Amino acid sequence: MKDLKELKKIEQYADQCMKCGFCSFFCPVYQEEKTETSVARGKNYLVKEILKGNQEFTKELGNIIGLCLLCKRCVAMCPAKTQIDRVVVGARAQMVNEKGLGAIKNFAFRKVMANRKAFGNYVKLAKSFQWLLPKTEGNIRHLPDFLKALGQGRNIPALADKFLREIVKPVYKPQNGEKPKMKVGYFMGCATDFMYPELGLKFIDFLTKRGIEVVVPESQSCCGAAMYFSGDFETGRLQAEKNIEAFKDVDYIVTACGTCSSTLKDYQKYLPETEDQKKRFEEFEKKVKDSMEFIVDIMKVKPEELTLKKEFEGKTATWHDPCHLVRYQNIKDQPRAILKGLKGLKYVEMPNADLCCGMGGSFSVYHYDITKKIAGKKMDGIKATGADIVVTACPGCMVNLTDNVLQNKMPQKVYHLLELVE
Amino acid sequence: MLKESVVAELQKIVGKENVLTSPEALKAYSYDGTTSWVHEPDVVVFPTITQQVSDIMKLANAEKIPVTPRGGGTNVSGGSIPIMGGIVLCTTKMNKILKVDKENLTATVEPGVVLQDLTIRLMKEGLFFPPDPQSFLGATLGGIIAENAGGPACVKYGVTKQYILGVEVVLPNGDIIHLGGRTLKNVVGYDLLHIFISSEGTLGVITKAELKLNPIPPAKKTIMVVYDDVAKAGESVFRVLENGVIPGKIELMDNWVINRIEEMMPMGLPKDADALLLFETDGIPEAVEKETEKIVEIVKKYGAVDARVAKDQAEADKYWMGRKAGFAAVFGKAKTVFAEDVTVPRGQIPALINKCKELGKKYNIEVVVLGHAGDGNLHPAILTDINNKDHYDRAVKAMDEIIEGAVELGGVLSGEHGIGLEKQRFLKRQLEPVVIEMMKKVKALFDPNNIMNPGKIWE
Ligand code: SF4
Ligand code: SF4
Repeated sequence: MKDLKELKKIEQYADQCMKCGFCSFFCPVYQEEKTETSVARGKNYLVKEILKGNQEFTKELGNIIGLCLLCKRCVAMCPAKTQIDRVVVGARAQMVNEKGLGAIKNFAFRKVMANRKAFGNYVKLAKSFQWLLPKTEGNIRHLPDFLKALGQGRNIPALADKFLREIVKPVYKPQNGEKPKMKVGYFMGCATDFMYPELGLKFIDFLTKRGIEVVVPESQSCCGAAMYFSGDFETGRLQAEKNIEAFKDVDYIVTACGTCSSTLKDYQKYLPETEDQKKRFEEFEKKVKDSMEFIVDIMKVKPEELTLKKEFEGKTATWHDPCHLVRYQNIKDQPRAILKGLKGLKYVEMPNADLCCGMGGSFSVYHYDITKKIAGKKMDGIKATGADIVVTACPGCMVNLTDNVLQNKMPQKVYHLLELVE
Repeated sequence: MLKESVVAELQKIVGKENVLTSPEALKAYSYDGTTSWVHEPDVVVFPTITQQVSDIMKLANAEKIPVTPRGGGTNVSGGSIPIMGGIVLCTTKMNKILKVDKENLTATVEPGVVLQDLTIRLMKEGLFFPPDPQSFLGATLGGIIAENAGGPACVKYGVTKQYILGVEVVLPNGDIIHLGGRTLKNVVGYDLLHIFISSEGTLGVITKAELKLNPIPPAKKTIMVVYDDVAKAGESVFRVLENGVIPGKIELMDNWVINRIEEMMPMGLPKDADALLLFETDGIPEAVEKETEKIVEIVKKYGAVDARVAKDQAEADKYWMGRKAGFAAVFGKAKTVFAEDVTVPRGQIPALINKCKELGKKYNIEVVVLGHAGDGNLHPAILTDINNKDHYDRAVKAMDEIIEGAVELGGVLSGEHGIGLEKQRFLKRQLEPVVIEMMKKVKALFDPNNIMNPGKIWE
C-alpha cells in the first residue's frame, strides 16, 4: 500500500459527505459546468476512491481536483459541514508528493516566488517588456506566460513604476510623536507590492495617524497561498517559517490583503509537521489580523468618525465579499459597518455579494473561460446595484473585478476600502 | 464496454464536449444520494435539446444499450444509478425555464431545471410550485416528476402529480410524444400522462413539462409543539386535521434528531422533549391567525407539553432550518443509513412510531424518526454500518419489519422516494402478483427492448 500521508489527514473530512448533492446549487464552477466532477460531491467521492485504493492520481484526476476555486461556498452551505477545501488541498498535496509539481509550478513556486528577491526581479523584468505586450482596455495589459503561471491571473493592472518594497521604510513611528499604543508588523503581499503600492502606504498612514507604530520587516516573504493551495506544502512551510521569523516582535501582524490574512492564519491548518510547529503556527495565527477586522474590532475605530475622501462625496458604493474574508475569516460585518457609517457615501448591498469573483488564484490561469463566466454573474450583481464604485478588501479580487468591469464596459471603478478614507 | 463507434456516434449527436468517458467521470456518475448502491456507466451524455435525446434513444434502441436518465442525482432510491452500465443520459444542461404564464398560473420548463432555481424565478411573480422535496437545492424537475416527489407541503397541497398538466416525452424508440396539455381539466382518452409521473425513468425521458402553479399565500405562521411522548405527537397530527384545520406543513422530529440538530446548530430546541411537531399555517392573514390559535388549543388538549408560536419570520426560519438539517444530522452519524420512507394513513402514525421504537429495542440498534407527519409519511432512519456484518444484519431485519408493519397498518412502503433499487425486494409484499405482471406489460409496451433504466422497480 502506498503512503497516503496527506490524504489520511483529511479522511475524516471526506467521510462527512453524505452525497446529498446540495452543494451543486452553491458551487460557482458547477453552475457553469453542470457536471458531477466539477462539484464538491464528485471531488469528494473520487478522493475517497483513492483512499480505498480504487483510484490513482491520473492526469484527469489532477484536472478534477484542480477545478475548484476553494471559494468554500459549498462548505458554508453543506448540511453535513463537509470541508471540501481541506479535502481538495489535501488531495493536491498528496498528488504533489507522488507526482511532483510539474515544471512550471516547480520553477515558479520554488525558484521564484519562494525567494523574495528573485520574485521581485522577475516581475521587474516582465515590467520592462510591458510596453511590448498587446494593450487591452484601460490600464490592463497581458503578461508573459511565465508570469501568468505565477498565480496572478491573466490580466493584471500595469505594474507599478516603483514596487512598494522599494519605497517603504522599515519603521514608521506614530505621527503624533507620542509613545505608540501598539506595534504592528505590516505584511504587504505580492499584489500590493507590485501593483498597488499606494494602498500599502495608505494603510501605514492610516495606522500611524492613529498612534500605532508600524514595522515592515524586509525579511517577509510571499504568504504562500499559491503554493500550499496548489499542494506544495514543502514550499508553503518554508514561507511560513520565514514569515513567522520576520514578524517575531510585534503585537499584531496586519495586512490589507484578504487572501494573505487568511493564508497566514491557516498555516496551522495545513502545514505543521511537528507538534512544536503546530504550536508556533497557532500562536502566529492569533496575531494575524486582516485590515478590516483590525480597524473595527481591535482599533475600535468608529466609522462615523472617519473622513471620506473628497472625490467620493455623494457616490454610491457596493461591497464585494472576498471568499478569503467572508468564508475563511467570517469578516463581513466590519467592512459593511464602515461603508454604511461613512458620512457622504451611500451604500447599497449587491445581490450575491458573497459570490466568488471567479479568480481563485491560479484557477483563473488554467480555467480563464470559467473564471469569465463566473465573473459575468458577479458583474450582473454589480450592475443591478447601480453603484458608482465597487469596494472590496482583497487586491486579488480587485484585479479580477477591474478586468471584468472593463471588459463589460461598465462605468464602475474598483477600490480597496482603505482608499476611500482619509 | 461500449463499441467505440457508439461513443463516436454520441459525440456526433451532442458534441464532443457533452460526452464523458474518462474513468474518473464514470465513477462520479456511479452513485446517487443513497449509501448502499454503486455502479458505473460506460458513458455519460448531456443532451441540450429534445431532438438530441431522441437521437440518443434511437441509437441506444438499435444497439440495445441501457439508458439511465439522471438529473441532479439527489434521489435516495438508487433510481438514477446505471446498474446495468450503458449510457447515463444527464439532463442538467437542459435547464431553461421556457415560460412563466401568470394569467394561467402555469410554467413550462426543461427537465434539468433545479427546483430552487424555479422557486426563485417564480417568487418574482408571486407564484410557487407546491411540491417541495427537501432536496430542492439539487433536485431537477425531470426527476421530481419521474419520482412523483413530495415534501412537507403535501399535507395541504398534495404531491407532484397534482401539479403536472402535461409533458413532452421521448420514448425508448426515439419517438417524441406529448401527453396531457395546458388545461386543468383533460379527459381525452386514457390518462397516460400519469403513467409517466412516478415511472422512475423506466418508460421514457421527460424533456419538457407544463407545471401548475399557485399564488404565494400572503401570510404564514410557525408553531413549535413539544411532547413528552412521541406517540402523542403522532396523535396530535390527526386531531388537528379532524378538528377542521389543514396546516400547510406538519413535521415531526424525535428526541434523537432534536439533540443532533442542537449539536450542529444550537437554536434552543428543548433537548429533553421526546418529540417536536412543527406546524406551519398559511393563507390570508385573518385565517392564519385563527388557525394558529386553534392548533395551539387542540394540541394542548391532546397532551402537548408546550406550544410556542414563532414571534417573527426569523424565529420561524430557524426552526425550519433545523428541520431541513434533520437528515444531515442522521446521515452524518453513521456509515450506512437506511432512510425509510414508509407512509401510513394518518390515524396510524402513533402505532407506526411505537413499532419503530419497539424494533429499535428488539434489535438493539438506533431507529430515529423524523418526517412529514402531516401526511403520514414518516422517515424512520436506521443507523448502521455496512462493514459491521452483525450490526448490519440486525438493521436489515429491523427495516424489513418496519416495512411489513407499515403495510399491515394499511400503509405503503414508499411515500415519495420511489422503489428504484432500494426497495424492490419489498415490492411483492405490497402489490398483488397480477398487478406486478400488468406493470411489466406496460413497461414492455413502451420499452420492448428493456433499455430504459433497466433493473429498477422489480427484481
Ligand atoms: S459536500 Fe455536503 S452538500 Fe455536497 S453532497 Fe456532500 S454532504 Fe451534500
Ligand atoms: S470550494 Fe467553491 S469551487 Fe470548490 S467545490 Fe466548493 S463551491 Fe465549488
